[in-house]
Amino acid sequence: MLAYVLAALVMMYVSYSVPRWLPGDFVTAMYSSSHVTLNAEQEAELRAYYTERPGFGRYLVDLFTLNWGYSFAFLTPISELIGEALPWSLLLLGTAHLLSMILGFLAGVEAAWRRGGLVEKAGVGSMTILEGIPEIGTAVILLLIFALHLGWLPAAGGETAYVEHSTGQWILDVMGHVALPLATLCLAYFPGNFLLTRGSMVMVLKEQFIDTARAKGLPPARIRYAHAARNALLPMVTRFGLRIAFMVTGALVVETIYAYPGLGTLLFNAISMRDLPLIQGIVLFSSLVVLFVNLALEFAYGWIDPRVKHAF
Amino acid sequence: MLKKWMGFCLGFLALFFPFATPCPAPAQVQEVRIGDSKGDWGYPNPYRHYPRGPGYIRMSWVFDTLVWKDQNGYVAALADSWAYDPGRMAFTFHLNPKAKWHDHRPLTARDVVFTIEYFKKHPYRWISVDDVSRAEAPEPHKVIVYLLKPYSPFISDIGGTMPIMPKHIWQSVENPEAYNGPDAFTGSGPYRFLDFNKAQGTYLYEAFGEYYQGRPKADRVIYVRSGQAMVSLVNRQVDLANIQPDMAEPLKKRGLAVIKDDRGWNKKLMIHHRKAPFNDKRFRQALAFAINQQEIIDKSHRGFGMPASCGLLSVDHPMYNPDTPSYAFNPKKARALLESMGYEKGAGGFYQKGGLPLEVELLASNITVAGQSVADRDGEVIKKQLEEIGIRVDLVNMEQATTDSKVKSWNFDLAVSGHGGISGDPRILNEMISSSYGAGSVNSARYDANPELNRLLEAQMTEMDEERRKAIVSRIQEVYAADLPAISLYYPDSMAAYNSRKGIPWYYTRGGISKGIPIPQNKMSLIK
Repeated sequence: MLAYVLAALVMMYVSYSVPRWLPGDFVTAMYSSSHVTLNAEQEAELRAYYTERPGFGRYLVDLFTLNWGYSFAFLTPISELIGEALPWSLLLLGTAHLLSMILGFLAGVEAAWRRGGLVEKAGVGSMTILEGIPEIGTAVILLLIFALHLGWLPAAGGETAYVEHSTGQWILDVMGHVALPLATLCLAYFPGNFLLTRGSMVMVLKEQFIDTARAKGLPPARIRYAHAARNALLPMVTRFGLRIAFMVTGALVVETIYAYPGLGTLLFNAISMRDLPLIQGIVLFSSLVVLFVNLALEFAYGWIDPRVKHAF
Repeated sequence: MLKKWMGFCLGFLALFFPFATPCPAPAQVQEVRIGDSKGDWGYPNPYRHYPRGPGYIRMSWVFDTLVWKDQNGYVAALADSWAYDPGRMAFTFHLNPKAKWHDHRPLTARDVVFTIEYFKKHPYRWISVDDVSRAEAPEPHKVIVYLLKPYSPFISDIGGTMPIMPKHIWQSVENPEAYNGPDAFTGSGPYRFLDFNKAQGTYLYEAFGEYYQGRPKADRVIYVRSGQAMVSLVNRQVDLANIQPDMAEPLKKRGLAVIKDDRGWNKKLMIHHRKAPFNDKRFRQALAFAINQQEIIDKSHRGFGMPASCGLLSVDHPMYNPDTPSYAFNPKKARALLESMGYEKGAGGFYQKGGLPLEVELLASNITVAGQSVADRDGEVIKKQLEEIGIRVDLVNMEQATTDSKVKSWNFDLAVSGHGGISGDPRILNEMISSSYGAGSVNSARYDANPELNRLLEAQMTEMDEERRKAIVSRIQEVYAADLPAISLYYPDSMAAYNSRKGIPWYYTRGGISKGIPIPQNKMSLIK
C-alpha cells in the first residue's frame, strides 16, 4: 500500500511538472491569430497572467482540497470538464474493454480446446492479421460502409444534439452513435485478448491436473472452464489493468475520427491550446485511475487464484 | 444528470444484446445544423469567444454590429446609414429604430457610445478602438464617432466588426472575461444563444422573433462536431460544412450544393529575415525563384489551388496590383543569386561558403484553415525544390502550436505558415508586414527594415480617399514583393457544401466576414 501512496505522489509531481516542458504557450496558441489586435503591453500582461504558477506545495494542497483549478480556454472548473467527458469515455472504452475481454476470453478458450483443428488455425491466422490493422484503418472502413454507403449509423458525435427524446429514444440514439467507435475499438482489442487467452490455455491444458480431470470423466465444458480457463484468467486480468492506462490516449484516434466526446478529445484540445491546468488535471486523473485499477487488481488476483495470497 | 447516468447504465446493459440500432429520426422543427471539426470555440460573447474566426462567427449570431457584409459588400445592420465627415474626422451612424435587445429593451445610440467606452476600458481582442477619440449620442438613434486621426479601415475594423453591447447589462460588470451571468449573452442579433455543450462541442441558437430585419429563416441554428464532413453531409447529420476540394464532385452527385471561396487565404513561407543569410534580399529572392508554386499545388494539394501573388494581397482583391514583381520558377536565377553572394557548389552538389555548408531548417506543420487542421506535404515538396538548387534542408515536422511558438520567438530559419484576410481590408498588409501592427501574430513577417515600406504602410491607414489609398496599396505590394520578408506560396481552394433542400443560400462573403473570416456562415444568409 505504501508503494501505491508513493506512486501517487510521484504521479502528482509528474502531472505538475511535465506539462510545463511542452514547447509553446497558451497566449501564443490562443492569441496568435492574424485578426487579434494585441499590443506589446497587453501581450506581456497576458503572458504574465497565464505563466503564473503556484509551487508544488500549493498544488498539492489544492489537489487534496479538490480545487483542481480552472481551464484557461474553457474558463470552467477542471473537475466539471472531466466530469462531463468521463461518462462518454467510460461508455466507449469501458464497454470496448469489457466486451473484447469477455468475447476474446471465450473465443480463446474454445480455440485452445480445439487446438490443431481448422477452426483454431483459422482463428489464430485471422486474429493475427486483425491485430496488425490499425484502428484508423478499421474506423475508416466502418464509416464508409455503415455511415456513408448504408447510412445506418451516424458518423459523428455521442448523441443527436438538441433533439427532444424520451429516455428510451435517447438510449437508442446514444447506442447508435457509440456503435461504430465501439466496433472499431472491439476489433482492435479483441484479437489480442483472443491470442493471449489461447496461448495461456494451451499451456494450462498440458498440466497434469487437466489429465486428472479428464481421467475422472468430468464433462468437457467443466474441464475447460472450471479447471483450465480459471487458471488462464490471470494474464487476461493483468492485460485489463494495463489497457486501462490507454483509456485516455488509446481512444484518441477513434474519438477524433468519430468526433466522439471523451477524455481523449478533451486532452487533445487542451494540448493544442496549451491549456496547462487542464492538461495537468487530465494527466493526473488518468494516472490515478490506472493506479486505483491496479490496486484493485491486486485484490482480484487473490480472489481469482488463492495461491497468490499464499505467495506473500 | 440522473437521466443521463441512468441512460448510460441502461445503454451499457443493452449493448450486450445484438440488435441493430437505427439512426435517429430526423427532427421535425426547422433547423440548420452546421458541422465543425473542432467543436469548441468558446462562449459566444465578445469576451469569452476564442479570438479566431469560428469563435467570432459563433458570437456574430448573437451580437450585431453597426454595419455588416453580404455577398455584394457592406449592408445596413444596426445602422441604417452612415457617412464620414473629413472636416470633423467623424463618422455619423443613424441607427435602425426597430432594433431591440434580446430582453426586449430598445437599442439606442447610448449603447453604441457605451460599447466604445467599455472597449477602451476593457479591450476586446478582436478590434482596437485606440484611434477613436470619443463617441456621442446627440439623438436616441444617432451616433457620432470622432477619430483621433483619419482611419481608413474604420468601417471594416470597427463599423463592421465591433459587436454592440447592452449598456444596461455591462455597465456594472467590472471583470467581463469572468462574467458568465444569464444575461451575458443578451445581444441584438438574429439569434439568441441557448446552450454550449463543452463535452460534445455543440451550440444551440434560437431565432429572435423581434429581430429588426425580420424573423430569421431557420428557427434554430445548431453547431455539431463532425469528424468527417463528407459523411455527415451525405447522411444529413449536418446541413453545412467545410469540405476538402476532392469531395466536391461526389457531394454534388449526392444532391448537395458546393460553393467555393475567393482566394482570401494564402500559404506562405516565413523567413527569419533578421539573421544571415536570410537578411540579404538576394537570398530571399533566390528562395522565391527556387520554389515552384505550381508543383506544390499539384503534388501536395492534387491541383486544388493557385499560385499566390508575392505582394501578399489576393489577386481577387480590388486593390491588387497586377504589376507586383513575380518570381516564376527559375532555378538558374536562384543559383545565380546565391553565387552572387559568394556561395560555391561543394560536395554532393550543395552550396557552401567559407567551408561552411549552406543548410537551413524548415519547420512544417498541419495548418488550421477556417478552423480545420489540414494535412499536407508542403514541407516535403519545398525541401526537395530547395535541395535541387543546392540548399541543404533539414525538414522538421511539428505540431502547429510548437511551430507558432518557435516562429514567434524567432527560433527558426524557414517555416511554412498561412493566414486569411488577404481579400479584406488592406490593413492586413500592415498586420502581416509591420511589427508595430502584427507583433502579436505568428503570421506577421514583422519586417521594419525598409523605410519606404514603413512610410507607405502608415500612409494607407490614414488615407480616406479610396483611389489614393489604392495607389499607396499598389506600391506597398511592389515594395513588399521586391523585399520578400515572407513568400506567399499559393491560395488553396476553399470549399463548403450545404443541403440546398433547406432553401438557405449559403455563400462566401467577399473579403471575408468581418475583418476577413473565410467561413461561409454569414448570418445574412438566414435573413429574409
